[in-house]
Amino acid sequence: MTAEPDAIVESDAAPLGVSARPPRSLARAFWPIAVTGAALALVPLWLGDSRLMMGLAVDALVFGAYAIAFNVIFGSTNQLFLCVGALAGVGAYTSAILPDRAALPMAVGMVLATALATALGGLLSWVAVRRSLDVIFTGIVTLAFSLSFANLVLGQRELTGGETGLLVSASADSFLRDRVAAYYVFLGMLVVFLVVFRVLQRSHIGWAFRALRDNELSAELAGVAVARYRVYAGLIGSAMLGITGAVFAHSDGFISPSTFEFGHVDVRVLVMLAFGGLGTLLGPVLGTVVFAVVDEILVDFGQLRTVLYGLLVIALFLGFKRGAVPAVGDFLRLLARRARSRVGRPV
Amino acid sequence: MKAVVLDGIVLGLQFGLLGVGMTLIYGLGGVLNLAYGQMAVLAAMVVAITLATGAPALVAAGTGLLVAAATGVVLDRTLMRPVYRQRGEHRVLLGLLLTLGVAFVIDGLLLWRYPSGALRLAIGGEAVPILGVRMRVGSLWATGISLAVAALLLVFRATMAGRAAHSVIQDEVGARLVGINPAAVRTFIFALSGALAALVAETRSMTSPVSVTAGFDFTILALIVAVVGGLGSVAGAFLAGVLLGIVSTVSAFYIGQYITTIVLLAAAALTIVMRPRGLLGR
Repeated sequence: MTAEPDAIVESDAAPLGVSARPPRSLARAFWPIAVTGAALALVPLWLGDSRLMMGLAVDALVFGAYAIAFNVIFGSTNQLFLCVGALAGVGAYTSAILPDRAALPMAVGMVLATALATALGGLLSWVAVRRSLDVIFTGIVTLAFSLSFANLVLGQRELTGGETGLLVSASADSFLRDRVAAYYVFLGMLVVFLVVFRVLQRSHIGWAFRALRDNELSAELAGVAVARYRVYAGLIGSAMLGITGAVFAHSDGFISPSTFEFGHVDVRVLVMLAFGGLGTLLGPVLGTVVFAVVDEILVDFGQLRTVLYGLLVIALFLGFKRGAVPAVGDFLRLLARRARSRVGRPV
Repeated sequence: MKAVVLDGIVLGLQFGLLGVGMTLIYGLGGVLNLAYGQMAVLAAMVVAITLATGAPALVAAGTGLLVAAATGVVLDRTLMRPVYRQRGEHRVLLGLLLTLGVAFVIDGLLLWRYPSGALRLAIGGEAVPILGVRMRVGSLWATGISLAVAALLLVFRATMAGRAAHSVIQDEVGARLVGINPAAVRTFIFALSGALAALVAETRSMTSPVSVTAGFDFTILALIVAVVGGLGSVAGAFLAGVLLGIVSTVSAFYIGQYITTIVLLAAAALTIVMRPRGLLGR
């Protein structure tokens, strides 16, 4: 891509997402995670009676976990991995098929599934980095991987059940089948992922991420091993995706190609994350909650739901180019400044 | 074998046509139009509706072209404005997200109004032998139109407007300095891209039906062809299209249908990894 001179760029150009430094104090860095976790932990008290609503809440958390993983890969290091659904699917199908066919314990299956997804994601990242593919090319290669995975699942009918899907028998009477229990398991994973994200942000890896996201060339010149840190992000994010998919397979009990379809997972995760704020800690969670609620509101509109969803996406991205979390932060800071100046003013 | 390769070329030229509309917009504005496939489907539905009123096929096809081109112009004049204010990867990303929204809107509206809509332009007549292979008339028409458009695009590059467009692709500031208005060129290319999308839907429907749900498949295929050919390169898009078309039919014939998609995708991914700029990319 050719660099464009500043002359033709208007001054109100704001980049998408942020790469701000996390707070230095331990308490200030981690309290948002604690508050988010506590708030989400209250949801079953409110919806716990309805199996349907709890099912939707569990699905929302699964998407939240995907979004955090995608935030590690894309939000932190600008690698457009359009294979979120596929990597989660690798985890899900591996952990569903292995215990069944190879008579392995469920936990071993999950570990192997996560390892496989991690390895594949790391490999994709490594290839992209080695060939120095830019955003779009990484996107297309991973998109090709996504579609190939979908086709493979459809084709290997005797192993995966093809289009009809696969009943996961290994965990038929596990506690994961209870919706409230599953909710807390996924909430636990979500909180762990957020903590991992924050710890990464505060470590030397986070410094490298911010440097290479702001300006890859300067980062490379300043001695940041851009390639290595990108692969780290690819590995960590893919591990998150793999384990989420693996647990999902056992908690839901049924997986099919459409569960991990590109149009169903990746598009949604990208929209959720870009809305919440790329590279922010809570952006993925906010995006998840907002889109879960929007989905519920739009559920009665049938096909018009897609139209409204599209209009919403357009309106949101015209309005919040940096994401909702930074926008809310700016607004709060503005209020605080106003309040402070009012206090300082003589009456 | 000869028949399989010829089929591949027929398919590939349509792939190429599909890729050109995508690649032109990217070359010009750095925007990947994810609503591209939906523009094609929109045109297909307009043609189907016009045909249903009893209008002659040419009129219907023309209406489809006009509607898709007009959609392109509206898109460029409204939603693309804030995108052009961004730059680099932010421009790419905002463009992707906004056109994705447009894709949802068009898809939703079409599925809502015409849930089972499909376009099939049946062209009758005896199969014609070409190089000893009997080809259906629909395929020949589709190929002829694709080749004609490819030739027109090559001629267009030599015209004043074509040179203007090319100069904007090469260097926007330079183009501005010699008195070219990049915004006008972009609007024109968006219209052209819409017309190309319509043409793809129409030629495609001569060999197999284009259903109302085909939008995203068109878009993904167009993306792959455009990227493999080298973003911004018209000749590259046609070359990539024909190569991928031949790979597709040959593997479908010798290996089987379901592996074909994987072979096609692997070929595309491999090309990108081997030559990140695409086959004919700069």
